[in-house]
Amino acid sequence: MTDARTIRFTLNGAPVSVSVMPHETLIEMLSLRLELKGARESCGQGLCGCCTVYVNGKSVSSCLYLAQLVDGANVVTIEGINDGARLDPVQEAFIEVGAFQCGFCTPGFIMMARELLDVHPNPTDDEIRHYLIGNLCRCSAYPEIVEAVKLAARRRAAGTAPALAQELSA
Amino acid sequence: MLGFELSEPATLDEAFDLLADGDPGVRPMGGGTALMLMMKAQIFKPERLVSLRNVGGCFDGLRIDADRSHIRIGGMTTFAEIECSPMVLQHLPAVVRTMKTLANIRVRHVASVGGNLAHADPHLDLPPVWMTHAASIRIVSKTGERVIPVEDLFAGYYETTLEGGELIAEVIVPVRPEWTSTYVKVTTRSAHDWPALGIAVSANLQGRRVNDLRLVLSAALDRPTRLVAAENELRGSDLDEAALKRAGEAAVAEVDIHSDSRGSAAYKQHLLRVHLSRAMHSLVGV
Repeated sequence: MTDARTIRFTLNGAPVSVSVMPHETLIEMLSLRLELKGARESCGQGLCGCCTVYVNGKSVSSCLYLAQLVDGANVVTIEGINDGARLDPVQEAFIEVGAFQCGFCTPGFIMMARELLDVHPNPTDDEIRHYLIGNLCRCSAYPEIVEAVKLAARRRAAGTAPALAQELSA
Repeated sequence: MLGFELSEPATLDEAFDLLADGDPGVRPMGGGTALMLMMKAQIFKPERLVSLRNVGGCFDGLRIDADRSHIRIGGMTTFAEIECSPMVLQHLPAVVRTMKTLANIRVRHVASVGGNLAHADPHLDLPPVWMTHAASIRIVSKTGERVIPVEDLFAGYYETTLEGGELIAEVIVPVRPEWTSTYVKVTTRSAHDWPALGIAVSANLQGRRVNDLRLVLSAALDRPTRLVAAENELRGSDLDEAALKRAGEAAVAEVDIHSDSRGSAAYKQHLLRVHLSRAMHSLVGV
């Protein structure tokens, strides 16, 4: 069993099967075998949040997760959080507020911010900062990130994400 | 990481068989977050990892005994499950508060309570908290089972008293409504660094009078350690400045703190005096 094994799981809503080695991490499988480059390994120690994906509806650091352990699971990456026609409200909010500079950490922040809003639909600044404590932005766009999360929370509370023009004219 | 075999037994008996040969390269795995770090750094090079995530039974979930005297937490219960449990919040609120300071939510979604104990890193936040709560662990093996206090698990730096093939099935925590507890994580570099020291306290108080208490120091020693002499200074006393000063001096005298990257021995001794006193004050709300 030190050899590769074929695992089957749901990736961004579609069934996939992949042959992986026991020592491969989830982020290695996603980025190297499945060509999904949104989550990326940065610190490799679960501290920075750049490799955040959802496994069975919960955020995990995919750099600390063995790939074979997602056999049978439901995996969602940043590529799977919108329908292809329209961005997720959190993605829209990050763009509109300018909550990034280089963008390397952004997929991880967006994944964590979505989960945060599921847990705390109307978060305080402290709740936002605490939930995102395991996400590092080396450009230090933290004030804008907190603003973007609050904007996304208001959009979610309104039911749908209004177009930017409507928001500005309101 | 180097190659290894990954097994996911569906029953405890299968797990025991896979772990049977006593090879140090064969290890059980809970959530695996700590083992992954050691494997990536090639400090640990396993030949076979035996994931316990499918063994089920008492390894999973949280229960309270019918007489409501004890809470039983399965060894594979994740930190997030404990943190989000209304039962734990009601009966063990200090455990939930400690979770908020521990790693981040992604790690808490995966890390298991049994794996955390078996890892025996002295910097970990939960083991001292279990110790002040007078918790025990139930250990199972192919030949039987035993129950020991959490403090008897630790044998030294990353070392436990677990024998080959023994697994931590559950943590058993007494429900003690007359006790209050807290944990102080003292970091000396960034706020979210590993602790220079961890101070866990539980006390049965009557106003400012200490009927009984438990004090545990972690991170600054090779294992989480009861501060017995400091406890003796406070047990039966009123919590006043003189008693707390005596307890702080007793604590510093009874343990051998070494200098490391998080502070000199003298500095950490000072932190121990100050934060032990503050932790006790926080229990009486002063």
